[in-house]
Amino acid sequence: MKEIWAIIRREKYTETKRALDKVGCGAMSIHSVWGRGKQRGFIMSDAESELALYATSAPKLVPTPSYLVAEGATITKPVVYVPKKLLVMVLPDDKVEKAIEAIIEVNRTGHYGDGKIFVLPVEDAITVRTGERGEEALTGG
Amino acid sequence: MKLVRAFIRPEKEQEVVLALEGSGFPALTKMSAMGRGKQKGLRVGDIVYEELPKVLLLMVVKDEDLSKVESIILEHARTGNIGDGKVFVSPVEKSITIRTGEVEL
Repeated sequence: MKEIWAIIRREKYTETKRALDKVGCGAMSIHSVWGRGKQRGFIMSDAESELALYATSAPKLVPTPSYLVAEGATITKPVVYVPKKLLVMVLPDDKVEKAIEAIIEVNRTGHYGDGKIFVLPVEDAITVRTGERGEEALTGG
Repeated sequence: MKLVRAFIRPEKEQEVVLALEGSGFPALTKMSAMGRGKQKGLRVGDIVYEELPKVLLLMVVKDEDLSKVESIILEHARTGNIGDGKVFVSPVEKSITIRTGEVEL
């Protein structure tokens, strides 16, 4: 069993859900989170490539409190958090690659901010209603 | 690689994030969370707060950077009082950048 964490664009979230349904990985928890990557949430350097892409996400950007402090410090770029969706799924081993492919296919735009996928090991899973354990808990009815 | 989950005081978030940034770890995800610890919340006179607001910082770091990140969080999130928070570390098997498809193990 593996736990998959996918941090993706909010506007791609519905599409990703549909794609995961198709490969049979529909069960997930969803969180709305704020985040940033190596680029520190700074997206304007990539803006000339395709402005339209950011037309939807740009107004949602919120400067962090740290931006105000960072201005006078050594950090030269504005540091912002970008709104993201975090999908958490626990999947049996054989479905992991399929789910990753589905997520990548929907979410890849080739621009900064497409997101990250993390794969973590899981020791056990239990269905509360039936008491099933292990992979049975994920596949059982 | 390791996943670091840090539950910290909301008022310490800025300090911790700035310190991490300054040390070259700008990448993180944050969410707000409610929780309690082994003290079962907080009691002030007759008033009991069963759950307290916390900020959850999620970071995936390389194994060799782990101790540095840990010590930065500990140093800046600590006040010495109950409710400073917890840091959990889990193993990460694989990390994929969606934009490039680049896989790190």
